[in-house]
Amino acid sequence: MNFDWSYFWAQLLTPSGAFLTGLGLTVFMAVSAQILGSLLGLLIAFARLSPRAPLKYAAASYIWIIRGTPLLVQIVFIYTALAAANILRFNDITIGPVTFPGNVQAGILALAINEAAYMAEIFRAGISAVDKGQSEAAKALGMPPILMLRHVVLPQALRIILLPIGNQFNIMLKNTTLVSVIGVSEMLLVTETINSATFRTFELYSVLGLYFLLLTSLWNLFMAWAERRLALTRKTPRALALEPAH
Amino acid sequence: MTAPDDLLIEATGIEKWFGPLKVLDRVDLIVRRGEVVVLIGPSGSGKTTLLRCINHLETIQNGRIAVNGHLIGYRQSNGKLVPDREANIARQRRDVGMVFQRFNLFANMTVLRNISLAPSLLRGTPKPEAEAQARALLARVGLPDKADAYPAELSGGQQQRVAIARALAMQPAVLLFDEPTSALDPEMVGEVLAVMRDLAQSGMTMVIVTHEMGFARQAASRVVVMSDGRIIEQAPPETLFTAPEHPKTRALLGAVLR
Repeated sequence: MNFDWSYFWAQLLTPSGAFLTGLGLTVFMAVSAQILGSLLGLLIAFARLSPRAPLKYAAASYIWIIRGTPLLVQIVFIYTALAAANILRFNDITIGPVTFPGNVQAGILALAINEAAYMAEIFRAGISAVDKGQSEAAKALGMPPILMLRHVVLPQALRIILLPIGNQFNIMLKNTTLVSVIGVSEMLLVTETINSATFRTFELYSVLGLYFLLLTSLWNLFMAWAERRLALTRKTPRALALEPAH
Repeated sequence: MTAPDDLLIEATGIEKWFGPLKVLDRVDLIVRRGEVVVLIGPSGSGKTTLLRCINHLETIQNGRIAVNGHLIGYRQSNGKLVPDREANIARQRRDVGMVFQRFNLFANMTVLRNISLAPSLLRGTPKPEAEAQARALLARVGLPDKADAYPAELSGGQQQRVAIARALAMQPAVLLFDEPTSALDPEMVGEVLAVMRDLAQSGMTMVIVTHEMGFARQAASRVVVMSDGRIIEQAPPETLFTAPEHPKTRALLGAVLR
């Protein structure tokens, strides 16, 4: 086996500035796409649960199309195909010292549009799983639908769907690598670039894998904390203290 | 449209179907301010459905229901009744409190928040004031030390008393009770009925669906008997329980009083 340990350690512990920028871009895209996708997904879930047929079928079609086609195709479609057809071109946006490249905008948008379809189904499952008596009690007190969702239904649904949401962001972190096909210099594309100059493929891709493992592991820790915290509100700390010791 | 001052609920010609099944058949019901009306009848007779129509948790297909002189769930348009806007329905429900068979306390919040949430969100009561009022109501239902508990930590009877306090916090004109003791263990029925008896004595207008005939006899100002979606008889309890007129009432009372 030909493995250059010193090169591996150098790349792992003292990564290049380009790689670190790529790491930042990976996290930035994943977080923004997850937030956008969750908000859009929530709206689609409401539409899907609506008694109004046009809304319901529009939401169902969205979910059907987005989940039925590959994410990679969607990314190329939104950035390259729309531009080729002169429908939509993503231009760089510069605000002060920061430039927001067109392909990053398109990448985040494509990831968010894709995520929204999956989040919509997760939200729908969570909302449907909340006991109907809860919303009836809110209605009977005179709460309009928005307040009922905000204070009663969504907080309870969120607890139910915490684990699937954790899964989704884990997948999102890794799916950002697909945006490399439209030239976004996230971690994978930076690695490919370095590799084309050095041909240390084994070492470089090992480092890349480890960095993703680091990101997903940090996310796992956060989810474990969130799970404990949300489970706690089910019982007051006082009640837990009163429970017999094991 | 103004109602005579003491007229609180006015339901006329209510008809409702669940698919092909007619569950309410030309029902007329009037409830005056301060009255305690108890609805009894065999299961499937439509009493719970009628109660749920009063705050529009169920739609009706015919007839009209007015609370405090205002139509609920529907509005008049060119002489016809059309479904009202959700926001208007929500506003009208604020004057009609409801207590459910299965309590339905909000599982994600403390007892205090369960009671103070609606007044602070919907009536604009400042939070400290809403909480002080909630504590006073908790004392009134005999649970002054449960403010910080979560519903899951309470017994059924305690949960139902909190549910009553929650409904009272909106200072409704009328309270509806849907079989409030049917989901309780027998030893907890008494504590809930005691709270309801206190309310009745304080002059609260109440409409109660129940199988507790002892309670009906003591606390009701009028007992309404339903069968097959119709009101077949109504009278003050002393008359109804001693000299029921309708044969079905006699059969019903014979079955439950034995």
